Amino acid sequence: MSSRVFEETVLPHLDAAFNYARWLTRNGADAEDVVQDACVRAVRFFPSLRDGDPRAWLFAIVRNSWYSRVTRRAGMETRPLDSATDDPADGALNPEARLLQQRDVARVREALEQLPADFREVLVLREIEGMSYKEIATVVQVPIGTVMSRLARARDRLSAVLKPPSVPVERLS
Amino acid sequence: MNCDQVARDLDAYMDGELATDPAAAMRDHLDACAPCRQRFADREALGRLIRTVPPYEAPARLRARIAGQARQRTLSTRRLFAWAAAAVFAVSVGGALTFVRSTAKRGDTADDVVNGHVRSLMAEHLFDVRSTDQHTVKPWFLGQLDFSPPVVDLAAAGFPLAGGRLEYIAGRPAAALVYQRQKHTINVFVWPESGGSSGVTERAIRGFHVRHWVRDGLSFWAVSDLNDAELTEFARALRGT
Repeated sequence: MSSRVFEETVLPHLDAAFNYARWLTRNGADAEDVVQDACVRAVRFFPSLRDGDPRAWLFAIVRNSWYSRVTRRAGMETRPLDSATDDPADGALNPEARLLQQRDVARVREALEQLPADFREVLVLREIEGMSYKEIATVVQVPIGTVMSRLARARDRLSAVLKPPSVPVERLS
Repeated sequence: MNCDQVARDLDAYMDGELATDPAAAMRDHLDACAPCRQRFADREALGRLIRTVPPYEAPARLRARIAGQARQRTLSTRRLFAWAAAAVFAVSVGGALTFVRSTAKRGDTADDVVNGHVRSLMAEHLFDVRSTDQHTVKPWFLGQLDFSPPVVDLAAAGFPLAGGRLEYIAGRPAAALVYQRQKHTINVFVWPESGGSSGVTERAIRGFHVRHWVRDGLSFWAVSDLNDAELTEFARALRGT
């Protein structure tokens, strides 16, 4: 691959790739290493891009780089729990008002970082990168149906984390 | 469509991933059902909340390193072509046109250089390698860049070397050498530039002083908030080495 092709294909998505890696690793230095490693791989795997979407292709490589680092470091990442928390629709008024008190970037960021990586990444890819389910499926390498259910569970989990400590009225078991 | 189906498909609907017919059914249900509407509004609010988190940006040094890597791969052939093209261009068109082109370009580059200087001070990322020893700083650039910037300590002239870092200026990777003069920081940006050597040009942009020259196939840009006379002295010291 010529450097021009590389520059035109990869460099425009570098910020986005870094953002994704940063969310995966939750650490700036690790994210740099992951992206750098991904770019080395991208050069090597460039023929596999063909006519595909360069961003999703690059993200998939970023994810693989991250994943192999994590597994090298012996399973430090937890898998997501499969139990989706159900949203108890408490009859509060305005959703904006309900969330307003937490409209604090640091808090949201922290809540996102607490989520398991599989949940975290689909939210970042969907909400921050604006990817379609199909693109996310390409990056994460799961079926589209899985993207859909994972996103739903991730959102359930995040809203549960962000919800103000609920007043213990009565707990149904 | 009942409330259970809505709960199942609500995310896909919000994300615009539901097919036309189920989406229409969803809309009808939401119009009619207040609890589901609330649920949908909650979901949208959550999305807005997530999007208030600003994305992280790739650090300049990472960009520089990656661009440098890519360049290195094709360097030998490219450099050959570049020299050949430059030679043909110089012979056939002559110096006048080149001069016009390079001065037009120079304004933007000077801006980029000043931005790079400001960025380095604001982000407090002045150094990738911090050392007053030129024999530490110079080798550090090997393998990071496809050229080797000259690194000299100018402590004897009153401008001690403080370190270096990678930068990404004017669309290409550059070496940044950092010198200090008392509390003032001088950034010297260096990258390859074909064409002949030039004398020093002087600029002042947004209160920063800029000196530029080309020598031995390398473009030098020195930027600082130092006063004009001292930066001139610095440029002389650096060029005199």
